[in-house]
Amino acid sequence: MIDDVRNTVLAIANKNNYGYISPQDFNLYCQQAQMDLFEDYFYQYNSWITKQNQRVSGTGYADIVKSLEEVMDFFSQEVFLAQVGVANTYSLPSDYYLMNKLFYYPNSVAEGTNTFVAAFKLTDSTAAFSNLTNPTTPPIGSIIVNTTTNSQCYVTAIDNATTLSISANIMNLNDSYIIYTNTNISEVERVSQNKLFYLTSSPLTAPSNQFPAYVLGGNTVTIYPSTILSSTSIKAQYIRYPKPPKWTYSIISATEGTPVFNDTQPDYQDFELPLSDEPTLVAKICQYVGIEIRESDVVDFGTAQITNENQEEG
Amino acid sequence: MAYITDYQYYENGGANPENENWGSYQYVTLQEIVNNFMLIYQGNNELLNNLNRYQVLFYAKRGIQELNYDAMKEIKILELEVGEDLRFIMPQDYVNWVRISLYQGGILYPMTENIQTNWAGAYLQDNNARILFDQDGNVLKPEYSTVTYDRIQGKKKSIYLNTDSPYHNSLGYFLDGAWFFDYNVGSRFGLNTETANVNPTFSINKQSGVINFDSTMSGRMAVLEYVSDGMESGNDAGVSVNKLFEDYLYAFIRYSLLNGRLGVQEYIVNRARKDKSSLLRNAKIRLSNIHPGRLLMNMRGQDKWIK
Repeated sequence: MIDDVRNTVLAIANKNNYGYISPQDFNLYCQQAQMDLFEDYFYQYNSWITKQNQRVSGTGYADIVKSLEEVMDFFSQEVFLAQVGVANTYSLPSDYYLMNKLFYYPNSVAEGTNTFVAAFKLTDSTAAFSNLTNPTTPPIGSIIVNTTTNSQCYVTAIDNATTLSISANIMNLNDSYIIYTNTNISEVERVSQNKLFYLTSSPLTAPSNQFPAYVLGGNTVTIYPSTILSSTSIKAQYIRYPKPPKWTYSIISATEGTPVFNDTQPDYQDFELPLSDEPTLVAKICQYVGIEIRESDVVDFGTAQITNENQEEG
Repeated sequence: MAYITDYQYYENGGANPENENWGSYQYVTLQEIVNNFMLIYQGNNELLNNLNRYQVLFYAKRGIQELNYDAMKEIKILELEVGEDLRFIMPQDYVNWVRISLYQGGILYPMTENIQTNWAGAYLQDNNARILFDQDGNVLKPEYSTVTYDRIQGKKKSIYLNTDSPYHNSLGYFLDGAWFFDYNVGSRFGLNTETANVNPTFSINKQSGVINFDSTMSGRMAVLEYVSDGMESGNDAGVSVNKLFEDYLYAFIRYSLLNGRLGVQEYIVNRARKDKSSLLRNAKIRLSNIHPGRLLMNMRGQDKWIK
C-alpha cells in the first residue's frame, strides 16, 4: 500500500513539476499520518459506542463498532512480562500504546531447559512430562513460556516423557521454559495510585491471588499482593503502536538516480492500517507535503478530503 | 463450581483430601460471581459501565455477608471442652451464636443464655472505696472481679433451677404431698418460667470474645452453633454461596452500584431495588425447603392429645 500512497501523493503534489518529495521526508510524513489515524480509531470507537447506545448504529454490515474493533485488534499483542529484579515489579513492553489486560498464571506444572531443537517440539531430556499416574501432564492447551525470549505457545500433544509437541517454533537450544496450566488464571486489575492504599487496607477488597491488582509507574507495573513474585507469571495483553512505515528503494542506473520502490529491503515496512484508510492517508500526507513545497492547493485538497470523509462517516 | 468428572468429584482425582469436591455443585464461588457480573452486567451497552472490579468484589462480599447473617442458614458448629476458667473463646470467624449446648451422655442439652450477667470488670479500691491508680494515671484492675471469681470458684448462685440455685438441696418441709421451702429474703409465688431450666447457663462477653459459663460446666463439653460472615478468614478462594442465591447476588451488586452512581435515573434505581428484594424473597422460600413430605411429618402430630 505504501507505494500506491507515495505515487498518489507525488501525482497530486507534482502538478507544476516542482513537487518532488524525498523518500526520507515521505517516510516521516507517513509515520505522522499513520499515528494520527491510529489514535483517531480510539476516539471514533468511543464516539460510535455512544451512538450505538442512542440506537443510531445498526447491526450486521452497519456495525461500525465491530469494524473499528477489528482494526484495533490487529495491534493486539500478548507477552509475558519480564520481572524487575526479584520484586513484584515487571517491565512493560517498549511498544505499548494501551495496556488492556494483565493476567496472573498461578499454576506452573513444569520448568526446565530445551535440550534438543526440532520443529514444533520442546525436548527436555530431564523432564517427566507423562507417566503412568498422570499421562496427560501437562494438559493439552497448557501455555509454554520461553523464559529466555519471553515468547509463548501452547502444548498440542504429549509425545513422550521428554518431548512435547508445541504450537509454534519458539524453542532454541538451551532456552529455559516454564509451563502453566490454563486453569485458575486471574485478571490483574489496574488500580490508580490514589486508590491503592485504601484497596490494600480494606479486608474486603485487599488484593489476593484470585483478585490481584497492579499500579502503573514509569514503564513498570507493580503487582499486588506482593507475594506474587514468579519471574514469568504475568502476561500482558496490550495494544502496540503501529510500526513506522518505510518506503524502501533502490537506485538503478536505468532510472538515472531516481529511487525505485524495493519492498525486499530488510527494513521495508508497509502501513499497518487497512486498505480502506488509503484515501485518508493520502489526504493527510498531502497536508504535510503541501506545507513543504509551499503549495496551499495541496494543503487545501488534503483538508477538504478529510473534512468530507468525517462528514460521511459522522 | 466448574464442571468436573465423577472421579474428580468422588475421589478428588486421587489427590488429598478426598472429600474436597463433595457437595461443591451446590455452590458458586466468589470468583465466578465477580467474573460473571463483569461479563454480563457491565459493558459499553449495559446499564453499568466503567466499573472497577474491586467495586464489584466489594459488593459481592457485602452481599454474601448479609446472606450469611440471616438468610442462608449456613451454620457452623464447634465443639470444645470448657476448662477451669469456665470460658469458651469464640471461633475466629464468629459473628453471632445460634445455639449453645452441653454434650453429655450422648445427648445435646440446649443451654439458656443467662438473663443476668455472670461476669464483670472491676477496679481496685482502698478501704474508703476510692479507686486506685498507677503512676501513669491508669486505673488498677484485679485479675478477676468478685462476680467472675465467685463464678469460677463455684460460689456464685444462679436464679435458674440448676445445681447452682441457692435453694438446691436446701431443707424444706413436706405438707399435703408437696415440698415447701423458706426463702431467705422475700417470697416467690409460683414458678418463674423464664428461669425454669436445669441446664447450665452462659453469658456472652462480646468485647472480650469469650462465652462465659456457670460453674457447673467445668470440664464438660460445649457445642457452639454459630453463624459467620462467609469470608473464610480472608481466603477469597474459599468464599462461595449457594446457587439459590446467585441471582440475588447479581441483583444486590447491580442495585448497590446503581444506587451509588451519579446521574442514574431514580426509576432505574427503584427497579434494581425491587428486583433485589423479590429475588431475596424467592431465594429464601426456595431454601426453606417447604414441601409436602416435610409438612406431613409435622401434621402427623395434629391428633396428639395435649394433657
